[in-house]
Amino acid sequence: MDLNNEVLENPIATNIEPMIKLTFTVNEEQYEIQTSPTEKLIHILREQLNLAGTKISCGIGRCGACSVLLDGELVNACLVMAYQVNGKSITTIEGIGGVTFDEVQEAFLTEGGFQCGYCTSGMIIAVKYLLALNPTPTETDIKEALAGNLCRCTGYGGIIRSVQSLSAKNGGI
Amino acid sequence: MKSNIQVDKDRVRPDGVSKVTGSLKYLTDLTFPNMLYGKILRSSHPHAKILSIQTEEAENLPGVEAVLTYKDVPGMNRFGMIIPDQPVLCEERARYVGDAVAAIAATSIEIAEKALKLIQVEYEVLPIIDTPEKALLSNAIKLHPAGNICHRSSYSNGNITAAFEACEAIVEETYELPRQLHGYMETEGGVVVPQEDGGIYVYAATQHGFKDRFQLSRILGMPETMIRIISSPIGGSFGGKDELNIQPYAALLALKTNCPVKIHNTRAESIRASLKRHPMKITAKTGTDSTGKILAHQVKIIADKGAYATLGPAVLDFAVEHAAGPYIIPNIETEGISVYTNNGVTGEFRGFGGNQITFALEGQLDRLANVLDMDPIALRRMNLRKATDLGPLGHRIAPTDSAALVLNEIQKLSESSDHQQTASKWKRFGSGIAIAMHGGGLGFGRLDSAGGRLSLNKEGKIEISFGFEECGQGLLSVIENLVIEEVGCSPQDIKIVIGDTSVVPVSGSSTASRGTSIVWQSLQKMKEPFKKKIVEHVSSVLSIPHENLYLGDNGIWEIGKDNGPCMTYKECAEGLQDGTVITSFHFPVTPDAVNGGHFLYSFGGVKVNVEVDILSGKVKVISINHVISAGPVVSPNGFRGQIEGGGVMSLGYTMMEEVKMLKSQYVTHNFDSYLMPNIVDVPFDTNVYAIEDLYEGDNYGPRGVGEIGTIAITPAIVKAIHDAIGCWVTKLPISSEEILEKVESRGMLPWI
Repeated sequence: MDLNNEVLENPIATNIEPMIKLTFTVNEEQYEIQTSPTEKLIHILREQLNLAGTKISCGIGRCGACSVLLDGELVNACLVMAYQVNGKSITTIEGIGGVTFDEVQEAFLTEGGFQCGYCTSGMIIAVKYLLALNPTPTETDIKEALAGNLCRCTGYGGIIRSVQSLSAKNGGI
Repeated sequence: MKSNIQVDKDRVRPDGVSKVTGSLKYLTDLTFPNMLYGKILRSSHPHAKILSIQTEEAENLPGVEAVLTYKDVPGMNRFGMIIPDQPVLCEERARYVGDAVAAIAATSIEIAEKALKLIQVEYEVLPIIDTPEKALLSNAIKLHPAGNICHRSSYSNGNITAAFEACEAIVEETYELPRQLHGYMETEGGVVVPQEDGGIYVYAATQHGFKDRFQLSRILGMPETMIRIISSPIGGSFGGKDELNIQPYAALLALKTNCPVKIHNTRAESIRASLKRHPMKITAKTGTDSTGKILAHQVKIIADKGAYATLGPAVLDFAVEHAAGPYIIPNIETEGISVYTNNGVTGEFRGFGGNQITFALEGQLDRLANVLDMDPIALRRMNLRKATDLGPLGHRIAPTDSAALVLNEIQKLSESSDHQQTASKWKRFGSGIAIAMHGGGLGFGRLDSAGGRLSLNKEGKIEISFGFEECGQGLLSVIENLVIEEVGCSPQDIKIVIGDTSVVPVSGSSTASRGTSIVWQSLQKMKEPFKKKIVEHVSSVLSIPHENLYLGDNGIWEIGKDNGPCMTYKECAEGLQDGTVITSFHFPVTPDAVNGGHFLYSFGGVKVNVEVDILSGKVKVISINHVISAGPVVSPNGFRGQIEGGGVMSLGYTMMEEVKMLKSQYVTHNFDSYLMPNIVDVPFDTNVYAIEDLYEGDNYGPRGVGEIGTIAITPAIVKAIHDAIGCWVTKLPISSEEILEKVESRGMLPWI
């Protein structure tokens, strides 16, 4: 059996691991849970905290559906393990906006930045991150920033229009 | 980004807010108390006898609640939409690596995965058939009792032999098309919840809830009335979730354990078991007279069906039908064969065989134009169908001059100078066009029931209901916009009910670009009786002549009184005895008994510009212009989204996507080795132009556009590459290696 098959046949460690006490903040709310140190953040969010707004699609960090902010940095929640988030702060799609919509959400609604919506949570987080660093992104900036987030429905047209409308609003081209 | 689409109908999609805030619960996001997790053991070999299955060790693992094999299937151990030939759980034989052998329910995913490894299956490996050609050899092992041919389909007209003799120019080519992954972001999954009466609720994505219910009823040996399918929202489908996937396993496990059971495929599991686009090999020979008039067209199609039929026969029929596309060809002979192999199962995929056959057809026209030294658009125009010409199978279709309208727009686009050139001497630029014709609905001879329900419900909402699913295509917007337009109310007055077999009428499946068309047609049938019921009630209560009343924002208004409705919908609902109108009809079909022949068609054209790097062989699509003729645009964002998204899906099909198999084993398991277009691969210069006019007298309204944006992209890109470097590509996806070989063989590099 080659290495590739070996990995596929054994996708997760099934040995019983010691549990750790995990303390972290999600969307400004403190959580303390018991979990395996190598449990993936995506599963903690979706299954233990019932924050299913963050989606899972590839599970290997290639599609960006599970994008969240970890201490303000853009990460794939499927690649982050429990021990890595101890004491840290996470923002998920549920933490974006509030009573009124965030401007990115508003732009996605107006410009048709989503269709099935399954990539949308991650995509919006990635756009938030882009605009926080660069309020007036150009075509090249948009490509670079969103290259890690796949969308199968829109062909990216609506997403591009969403980001460009925000860039224009901020004085960009 | 340019477009001629009026945006005055743009409203925020009814499902928009919940999607951008992440609050929408997809069916794979649901959890229930006491829920168990299901996993499916699939065959270790693409082809093997199953000698024994030992499950004791797995059953004894703490946390495992059930382990099922074929012996636990109470009803028919088969499914499949046209030919039920796929085992739910294999008995004595596995025919591909996605074949299910056992299913497990456990208290956690980890335990279920561990238990999978404790099931011992003894296999006797059988020789594999990994190509359709091998399957057709006379001594090939039979994959099914009737042999290895799943389906044959053909069409002929005129005398092909004599016609070729009269031709001045003849081109012949073989086109090879790959296995494409639907690549929906939400993998298959859902939860089945057992009910106290012994029935089940199935929360799982499907494009046709009633069809799932019918198939599950046969498998479970349970009346359909005890099965409720809740099937929306869906995180993308593109045809890939039309057939059953995890539903039978979750249902069997839920009934066995009497607990809710959730199955949500990982991406690797999904790739192994899901449907794919049919790989096809298409050989086409086409001839014209000296002026470019096509005299003869001969086409042979071999489709790789994989192990089981699902909708494959209909896909082949569709490809055969569209072999002549929008052209009038007096002598034609098309033969198609769909062949079982031990490869992954292929089935329904956006475009439904139209993509493959149009690559061949448009490729032939471009080659002929080249041989004849003619303008490719002029060649097309010379052979184009007229408004009242018969359809491609010689059958009557709804009159339409869309083919000419699309070609005219494409010509205008081609004449506009948009060449983007950089200074590098290693870059070559080219442009290409292609057009396509695409049938909507299931076609003649197939049960294609449609319908809907419109009512004023007790809460005072105008409730509109269909059996369709929101797969992401924007059907909810289509419904909302059409109800506003046809009934006259405001968005706040509407409640849309879809995706739940217990409460929706039969509308047929969310497939074949039929949704928009059926919503519009249903409303034409329902709106007047519905308005009449309401207006007559208000008229009798308020003693206002009914001709002075109309439905508007928040209620029923009297003409000339603009200060508010004379009765709100809420008030009306309280007194109205029966505010429901139901319609049921058949999707429009041709009056001629031509099996699978369509009646309503949409048309699309594409112009692309490409850049070919002759040092690296890399091809970059730098602009895409779509022209679509499908009747009035109902939902501007939805329309553009479907066309742009479909175009990029086909860009991927043309440039990079292939689910590779080696010896009937998937080489590709996830998005690290299966590359779909990301934002870097798509041109920001993408423009969509809609031709909204319908042919005079056309009463069929807007056509769906789920597929038409995908069809013409491939041949347009291939033609653009030819324009750039003078070479034809015949095999997809286009590889840099092949381009480099062609560049070298043409001596385009100075040192070679």
